[in-house]
Amino acid sequence: MQYYLSVLTIGGINVILILGLTLLTSYTGLFSMGNVGFMMVGAYCSAALNVEFGVPFIPSLLISGVISMLLGLLIGWPTVRRKLKGDHFAVALLGFASAIKVLICNIEIGDFDGAMGIKNVPKLTNWYVVLIVGAVITFLLWNFVHSAYGRNCRAVREQEVAAQTMGINVSRTKLLSLLINAFTTAIGGGLFAFYTTIVVPTMFTQNQSSNHLIAVVFGGINSITGPVLSSFVLAILPELLRVISTWRLVIYGVLIVVIMLVKPEGLLGYKELNFRWVKPALAKARALLKKNKLPGNDGGKA
Amino acid sequence: MSFILQQLITGLSIGGIYALIAVGYALIYSVFDFSNFSFGCVMMVSGFVCYYSMQILNVSLAMAIALSIAASIVVSLLTELVAYRPLRKMGTDRLFLMITGMGIDLAVANTATILLGANARKIDVSELNLEGSVALGSVFLTKLDVFALILAFIILAALYVFIYRTKSGLGIRGSAYDVSIAGLMGVNVNRVSFIIFFISGITAGFAGILCGMKYAVIPTLGSTPALKAFIASVVGGLGSLPGAVVGGLILGVLETLTSGFVSSVYRDLISYGVLIIAMMFLPHGLLGRSHTDKL
Repeated sequence: MQYYLSVLTIGGINVILILGLTLLTSYTGLFSMGNVGFMMVGAYCSAALNVEFGVPFIPSLLISGVISMLLGLLIGWPTVRRKLKGDHFAVALLGFASAIKVLICNIEIGDFDGAMGIKNVPKLTNWYVVLIVGAVITFLLWNFVHSAYGRNCRAVREQEVAAQTMGINVSRTKLLSLLINAFTTAIGGGLFAFYTTIVVPTMFTQNQSSNHLIAVVFGGINSITGPVLSSFVLAILPELLRVISTWRLVIYGVLIVVIMLVKPEGLLGYKELNFRWVKPALAKARALLKKNKLPGNDGGKA
Repeated sequence: MSFILQQLITGLSIGGIYALIAVGYALIYSVFDFSNFSFGCVMMVSGFVCYYSMQILNVSLAMAIALSIAASIVVSLLTELVAYRPLRKMGTDRLFLMITGMGIDLAVANTATILLGANARKIDVSELNLEGSVALGSVFLTKLDVFALILAFIILAALYVFIYRTKSGLGIRGSAYDVSIAGLMGVNVNRVSFIIFFISGITAGFAGILCGMKYAVIPTLGSTPALKAFIASVVGGLGSLPGAVVGGLILGVLETLTSGFVSSVYRDLISYGVLIIAMMFLPHGLLGRSHTDKL
């Protein structure tokens, strides 16, 4: 039982990590290759606050989220103001993540050594904490997306000039998405730190950034349940399929290419997971079983 | 003084490698408007083929280089034919093309890690007398650096001649301006895409071999240089070939000067930081065209 709960926890942490990226990439159309920077900030800050200063669990997560938001503002304000988009924005965030990594590795304040990391972080992340935090963030994100703010983001994604003509403040919308992304990724990073009880710089690689981005696009654009499901499954895949766990990343890569070729919007692109398809499908199945009673087959007879 | 010169020339040599990869990014972006993130695996394949052809097939170094270039061309063309062309026909968004590139990179790099192991291998370059260093006055350079510099410039010069002086190059330049109009004017866009991926396969292959000779041949050989070259090509101006070369050289020189004079620890921070700040003030890169939104 403990094993299944820990698998659930890992999957849940991964979901929280990509929820912010979902807002940024699939709803606002800015793709970020530097998310691992925010994750690192969240992990280090919450671990340091808890271990060095004795701040309790949830407040340390929230404070590290706010710190990450401030850093997001630092990089976001100039990039969004200068109207960097697409690849330029990705490169700016990439550089930002590398900068964060170098800075953290080289902080040596007192006996806090960034490169050596933080050890003995209490293991406070349980499955129910992850579940509750994940549910809260998903609920908030759902409401955001289905509100005017969400429509602004989608407008900015589709056609920026038209959005600006309609009176949407494009810079503010983009900045808002970036800040929310920074906040949730930092919370995910903090939960990750409290789960693995140790925080070292080598745990945060550029590959993780790419993997998160791939998980979001793979799950589906313009959908929340898509990336949630896909990142959950992809996180617990090595546990589910131990037999091919060495080939996991290769299969992942091949799967991405195949899905992109077959259905480029992602698995659940533009759709949310719902069960409205069940009733009509059942009705169709029932009708197929009684073949001669299909509508239209009577030739107009009553 | 000689130290500065030494760092400068070493920086130019590394910058030459970045410029080779960045030119590939620029070529593909100029025509198709997306960045091909699978250069990492092309470089890795060429490095591995060079090493294994010398180990297993016992061929000379020159032959090994030729074989690995052929391998990298094959990988590059395969990504184009299998992944990008069908997606372009479907008219998908750029983001999906980039994600596909990332997926291919992930799959190939991890296949190599699983099948061939992740230990570092060394390419034996003693055949062409490339071991050791050479002295130009009071400046000491490794022979490998000089070789990389000369090779990079030869390839870039050949590329210049091809693109600006031949008919196929004219087709590429026309497609770089606008793909649809070039197609209407009779340029065979499929052939142009074939040529572009062929060329970027060659340049990435050479970059992979040079990196493999300079450092070690490992499955993640290509990831870091490809990322740095991406930054270089974006800063130099997306889609602009001279910009990519300039960006790559500047990044190489900046890196080497920083690690020589400031500290090799802060090398990434300072080089990326300077480039990104440069990008803030020149949003379209150093030599990029300013693209106004087509309404």
